[in-house]
Amino acid sequence: MTDAKRPQGDKLTEAEAIERAKQGDAEAFQFLYNLHKRRVYSLCLRMTGNTAAAEDLTQEAFLQLFRKIATFRGESAFSTWLHRMSVNVVLMQLRKKGLQVVPIDETMEGEGEGTVRKEPGAPDERLAGSIDRLQLQRAVDELPPGYRTIFVLHDVEGYEHNEIADLVGCSIGNSKSQLHKARIKLRELLRTNRAEKAGTGKTGKR
Amino acid sequence: MNCLQFERGLPDYLEGSHTSEHQAHLNSCSSCSDLLADLNFISSQASSLQALDEPSPKVWNQLEASLRREGLIRQPLVSRPSLVDFFFRWRSAWLVPVAAALIVVVGIKLYHPPKAGDNAPIAKQTAPSKPAVRTPLPVSDEDRDILSRVASRPPAQQASYRADLDAANSFIRDAEESVKSDPNDVYMQQMLVDAYQQKQMLYDLAVDRSLGEQ
Amino acid sequence: MYTGKYAARFIVVLMLAGVALGATVRKDLTFKVGKHPAVSINNQYGPISVTAGAPHRVVVTAILHSDRVEVDRSQSRNRIGLMSHLLAGADVNSGVVEYVVQVPPDASVTLHSGNGTIRAEKLHGDVAMEGANAAMEVLDCADGHLHIRTLNGKVSLTNVRNGHIEVNSMAGDVVLTGVSGPFVQVDSNTGKIQYDGDFGAEGEYAFSSHTGNIEAVAPSSASIEVYARSSGPVQSDFSLDPKHAPFLVRGANSFSGTLNKAASSVKLFSLSGKIHLKKR
Repeated sequence: MTDAKRPQGDKLTEAEAIERAKQGDAEAFQFLYNLHKRRVYSLCLRMTGNTAAAEDLTQEAFLQLFRKIATFRGESAFSTWLHRMSVNVVLMQLRKKGLQVVPIDETMEGEGEGTVRKEPGAPDERLAGSIDRLQLQRAVDELPPGYRTIFVLHDVEGYEHNEIADLVGCSIGNSKSQLHKARIKLRELLRTNRAEKAGTGKTGKR
Repeated sequence: MNCLQFERGLPDYLEGSHTSEHQAHLNSCSSCSDLLADLNFISSQASSLQALDEPSPKVWNQLEASLRREGLIRQPLVSRPSLVDFFFRWRSAWLVPVAAALIVVVGIKLYHPPKAGDNAPIAKQTAPSKPAVRTPLPVSDEDRDILSRVASRPPAQQASYRADLDAANSFIRDAEESVKSDPNDVYMQQMLVDAYQQKQMLYDLAVDRSLGEQ
Repeated sequence: MYTGKYAARFIVVLMLAGVALGATVRKDLTFKVGKHPAVSINNQYGPISVTAGAPHRVVVTAILHSDRVEVDRSQSRNRIGLMSHLLAGADVNSGVVEYVVQVPPDASVTLHSGNGTIRAEKLHGDVAMEGANAAMEVLDCADGHLHIRTLNGKVSLTNVRNGHIEVNSMAGDVVLTGVSGPFVQVDSNTGKIQYDGDFGAEGEYAFSSHTGNIEAVAPSSASIEVYARSSGPVQSDFSLDPKHAPFLVRGANSFSGTLNKAASSVKLFSLSGKIHLKKR
C-alpha cells in the first residue's frame, strides 16, 4: 500500500484525510476507517476466531488510533502505525481473557516424534491444487490460540520474528519453533478435512 | 540423514539454511518432499487471508458515536449512508456538538458556581424529587414517517410504538434540558447520547431491521 | 438430511400435499459445523429457544403453525441462517413458528423475534437478541458477549458470568440475578432495572435510566466503588467509605463511596427515577 491512496471515485488522499481528521473532520475519519477496516478486522478475526470480539477490537483499535492522530507526523506509514496498534489491542485482549498468546513448551496432542509418517490408505496428494483459501481460513480458525497468533502475525500479516518476539514477549527462537509447529498443525488439519470431505462425497468447494 | 533428522532441521531449512544433506534427502524421500511442498504452500497462501473480511456497519456507527462523545469529531452529523438513511435525518436531534457549543454560550448565563459542601461524598439529598409535568411533545416529520411505517400493524402495536416514540422524545428533551443547565456535566452529555441511541434503536426495531441483514 | 454442501441460499418448501390449512407442521433440521459456528434466527412471530448441545452440530426443530409460513435456511461454511418467511395471508397467529435449537456451546447466536420469548441457555459464545415486544431470557451462560435490544419485552438474565453484557430497553423491565462482569451495562428508558448479585469479577457495572427505577441488591461483602445520582430519590442501605464523586452534582440527589476493597465499579444513574442500593 502506498501513502497516496486514492480509492476510486474519492477526492481525498490518505495524507489529506489524516490532516483533516486532526481538525475533527467526520468525513476524513470515515475515509480512513473505510480504507483500513478490512485489514484490521481480518487481523482481529484471524487472531480471535470470533466475529463479535473482532468487531469490538476493531472499534477499539481505530478509537485508540484516532485519539492519537494529532501526534502522527508521518515518520512511518499510517497503515503500519494502525496495524501495530491493532495487534497490540488484540494481544492485550487475549491476555486479559487468560488465553495463551504464545505456547512456550507445548507438544502437539497425539503427536510423537516427527510427523512424516505414511498413514495406511492416506492420500499422499500435495495440498497445492486441492485446498482453497476458504479451507485454509477454516483451518486457521481451528488452530489453538497460541499457534494461531504466531501464524497470523508471521505468515498472514508479514511480521518478522524479531518483531513478533517484541510484540508477544517471547524469544525469537520460540517464535520460529511455534510458527513451524503451527504450519505442521495446519497441514494436519487441512489433510484431515480434505479426507473427511472425500469420504462423504462433499467437494468442500463453493 | 533420515526423515526425523530432516524434520528437526526443517525450521532452519525454511528460513533459508539449506545443506547438501537436506537436498540429498529431499531427492530421495517423497514424504519429506511432500511435507516441504505443503508447508511452503501454506506459507505462500497465508497472505491471501489478509483483508478478507469486512466488519458490519455497526462498528463504524459505534465508533463514530464514540468519536463524537470524546469530541474528536467536531462537525455536525451528516446523513448516514445506510439502508434506512431516510429515517436518520433528525432535524433537531443531530446537532449534538453544535448544540453543545450553543448551549455553552447560553449556559454561561445560567451557570451557578458550586456552593461549599456540594461535593460531599456520602448520601446527599439536596433536591426533593419532583414529578415532571409532561406536556405533549410535537411530532416531527421523521417521527411521522416512522408512524406511517407501522400504520399497517395492528392498532395495539401502533399504540405501543407511539408510546415508545413519546418516551424516546421525552428522554431526549429531558437530557437536553439537563445539558443546557450544566454544559460541563459530562454524565448528562452521556445521557443525551444514550437518549439518541435509544431513539435509533426504536427506529431499527420499528422497521423490523433484522440483525441478520447486516 | 441436510448435507451442508452448498453455500447458496435455498428455500425449504413445507407445504406438503395433504397438510390441512391451520394444521401444525414439524420440521427437523441438522447442520454440521466446525468450531465457533455462527447461527442466526429471524422469526417474526413465535418463540426461539437455544441451548447448548453437542459440538459440531446444530439441531433445529421448527413447529410451523400453518402453511402460511415457511422456514428459509442457508448455510455458508460455519454460518447457519434460519428465517421465518411469511406468505400472503399470514398474520400474528398463522405466521407463528416455534424454534427449539441446540448449538455447540461455543456458537455465536443472533436471535430476532417480533413477539415471542427468546431464550438462550448454557452458551459460552456471543449472543445477540433483538425484538420489539419479545421477552428475553438468558440462563447459565458465561464468557461471551451478550447484546440485547428490546422496546417492551421483559429481559431476565440469570447466572450469567464473566460476560460483556449490554442491554438496551425502552419500557421493558430488566432483571439481573447472579450476573457478573467484567462489563455489565444496562440502559433503560421507563423500564425498571433490578439487580441481585455480588457485583463481582472486578467488573464495571453501569445502570442508567430515564425515569425507570433502579434497584440493586448486594451482600455486605460486596467490594465496590459506587456512584449514584438522580433527580429522583436515592438511597443506600450501606455505610460507604467516603470517595470524592467525579462529577459536580447540582440540583440532583446522589451518593458515592466505597465498600470493602472497591474492586468493582458500580454506576447507578437516572434522570428522574428512584435509585436504591439495598443490602441483602
